[in-house]
Amino acid sequence: MNPPILVLILAGARGDRLHALGRLRTASALPYGGKYRVIDFALSNCVHSGLYRIGVLTQYAPLSLHGHIGIGRAWDLDRRDGGIRLLPAYVRQRETNWYRGTADALVQNRNVIEDAQARHILVISGDLVAKVDFARLIERHEQRGAALTIVTAPSPAGARDGRRAVRTDGGGRVLGMPDEASEPGSDVPASIYLFQARELRARLEEPGLGPDLVHDVVEPMIAEGLPVVAQPHDGYWRQMDSIEAYYEASMELLAPYPALNLHDPDWLIYTPSEDRAPAIVAGDGDAAGCLMAHGCRVEGTVRRSILFPGVHVSPGAVVEDSIVMHDTRVLDGARVSRAIVDKAVRIGKEAHVGGGDAGRPNREYPADLASGLAVIGKRAEIPAGSRVGPNTLVDIGVRESDFAGREAASGSVVRAREKQR
Amino acid sequence: MSFVSYAMILAGGLGSRLCLLSEKRAKPAVPFGGKYRIIDFTLSNAVNSGIFDVGILTQYRPLSLRDHIGIGRPWDLDRKRGGVELLQPFQGWRDTDWYRGTADAVWQNWLEVEERNAEHLLVLSGDHVYRMDYRPLIEAHLARGAEATIATFEVPREQASQFGVVRVDGAGWITGFLEKPQDPPSGRISMGVYVFHTGVLREALEQDSGRKSAHDFGKDILPALVERGRVLAHPVPDYWQDIGTLDSYYGANMDLLSREPAFPLEDPRWPIFTPSTENPPARLGPRARVRSSIVTHGTIVNGTVEHSILFPGAVVEEGAVVRGSIVMGDSWIGPNAVVDRSILDKRVHVGRGAVIGHGDATRPNRACPEHLNSGLTIVGKAARIPEGITIGRNARIAPDVAEEDFPGGNVPSGEALERPKGGADGKSTAPREARV
Repeated sequence: MNPPILVLILAGARGDRLHALGRLRTASALPYGGKYRVIDFALSNCVHSGLYRIGVLTQYAPLSLHGHIGIGRAWDLDRRDGGIRLLPAYVRQRETNWYRGTADALVQNRNVIEDAQARHILVISGDLVAKVDFARLIERHEQRGAALTIVTAPSPAGARDGRRAVRTDGGGRVLGMPDEASEPGSDVPASIYLFQARELRARLEEPGLGPDLVHDVVEPMIAEGLPVVAQPHDGYWRQMDSIEAYYEASMELLAPYPALNLHDPDWLIYTPSEDRAPAIVAGDGDAAGCLMAHGCRVEGTVRRSILFPGVHVSPGAVVEDSIVMHDTRVLDGARVSRAIVDKAVRIGKEAHVGGGDAGRPNREYPADLASGLAVIGKRAEIPAGSRVGPNTLVDIGVRESDFAGREAASGSVVRAREKQR
Repeated sequence: MSFVSYAMILAGGLGSRLCLLSEKRAKPAVPFGGKYRIIDFTLSNAVNSGIFDVGILTQYRPLSLRDHIGIGRPWDLDRKRGGVELLQPFQGWRDTDWYRGTADAVWQNWLEVEERNAEHLLVLSGDHVYRMDYRPLIEAHLARGAEATIATFEVPREQASQFGVVRVDGAGWITGFLEKPQDPPSGRISMGVYVFHTGVLREALEQDSGRKSAHDFGKDILPALVERGRVLAHPVPDYWQDIGTLDSYYGANMDLLSREPAFPLEDPRWPIFTPSTENPPARLGPRARVRSSIVTHGTIVNGTVEHSILFPGAVVEEGAVVRGSIVMGDSWIGPNAVVDRSILDKRVHVGRGAVIGHGDATRPNRACPEHLNSGLTIVGKAARIPEGITIGRNARIAPDVAEEDFPGGNVPSGEALERPKGGADGKSTAPREARV
């Protein structure tokens, strides 16, 4: 018999660095890989690892996530015993609060943790794209008698985003997490923590516990000399916490032999399916180097791109090096290059979105939008014949009339008029 | 309640004219359009028309159909009230028999109809491709006080001899019903979609069951009801396609690829539901060349695909060319292989450099000359085609053949390659796969 495990998926944070992609949804609900949402990886990892008792802590813009998960059918999580529970913050008679942080979210769900009577508690972030065998992790955790196992991964190349390195001795025992940003390639926490339930529960009872799981629970455990061990994750691992991380992790799927294999029959990623017809390349349409979901209709040219369900590319239109989400229309003669286009966007005829030299970073978000991507928010309308430069952000729901003239210059932000007031 | 809430779908069809495709599965379970099975169209029509209580009459090779339908979840038919039930022949206390015909199938399950106390019954066929709202048909049936109403469709007169042809008077009442007439009087045919007054149908079925007949709706029941003069014709203008022959099956699939298809698979107002496979989106490699084709989740294309339909998990390797073909689930087209005007069933393995569909199309197939003569080549499920060989047109390769079953290498046009019989060479004839 496997030891009873409770999985808590943290999926409530606001993705501050996702901007228009993350305002209507949390990072865990980001569409990824042509048909998935990011949280599908966490959930599929759980069920492939035999973990069927899962709570999902939600807070920020949870509706798309709640709708996606439903009763958990897509993951076989609609179960009599265990299954999936959505755990949003709620009003109480006394001390009502939003989740003030990751540790506070656990404190507020102490009753869930206690009811589960688990031996170990696996706390994972919902915004990870990775295939992780938790069963093996649990086995190692037990063998080593750890109070806490921290899964680590090499910091993605070029990332200097404040993640802190995990320092270990030769045997994998964690010595500390130095208070400085890590170098690319050094081991950083992969946002996967496996706690001995007894230990975690005791800490969540402590009066005056701070709100952050890493700062207020994990680090004190290390500092107090408890058996905290690191378990390096040797496969693909990415965290969808910024526009550029999201874009890169998406494009990596298009490599000839992608590091993340979505076709592995032994570790399929599950997601609720949509009832749409298969994709069709019709007329003079031409597509290569891409992922294409059901319901797409390509009559133009598509290169090195990811098309989510229901995207239409009209004759003469070109989509390249881009991510285009559900039901977006790219009309005749339009050109979309190096862009992330959210759902139900309309790219007018002959409009050009993205492409060209990166030029100057985005005026308002220079740290998050500097590599030349154009980001188009949900339901935006790009006027026919217009030009939207690189490092440009077109906000959610922008209408054609919100464009001053026919050009959104490189590095600019276009907002819907009501919102500007 | 007088509205119609129960539908029976006739899905027993042997489909002998579909050659290999229906050798191991009932015709309604034959894959279609990149992700569907033919019965999906009728089932989706039913639920889109608000009918959520469906019985499916099956007899021939029901396993693949049973797997496909399961508890009816994709159609929202996993319900407390109503739902979907597969009605197989069963052994009873007194009468035990296989279904002797479509009418007999309904008659043997008459208890299902009686239990529902429905005044009218919808009877559908599971082997047609079409979109239809059954509600106007039912409304017309009720409004005109018909004993039976038949949905009709117009085809060119010369094609009508494959169907039930109706003669209709000026007011829409049917005055004659001719099943597969040699010389059809018109092109107005029965679509195999009927509403019956339950009492009248009961009487007709009961009489027919004791008679020596084909126990068939088209041959026996409908002509008898038409005699009584209260059978209404309900014309349906749109698109309707019978999947009776290999050529009509191939043609209906290829029609999907036209620029303005007469039958678009995607219609958000009338979706076609089917169980979905857990597969990533279609993956087109950097050197893929894909032109006017359907690609499905789980397909991988690194070669050239033109005017073809790829089902989930079909793989086209680099340098391979697939042209004018239907490639079903999990088939693999090796590097530099060519597949031309061919239908490959599931899990076919085409060795490197093999050519399927080559040369002369004038010689009909030796084993089924009436159905395999238009130049198509058909490869049965899980067949393994050796590297580098050439297979002609109008050829037929049996399911489950392996590389060593091609003693002479190439297979000429019109040839039928069978799986060697078991025994002397120690090979088993038992199917290697029980299910399709």
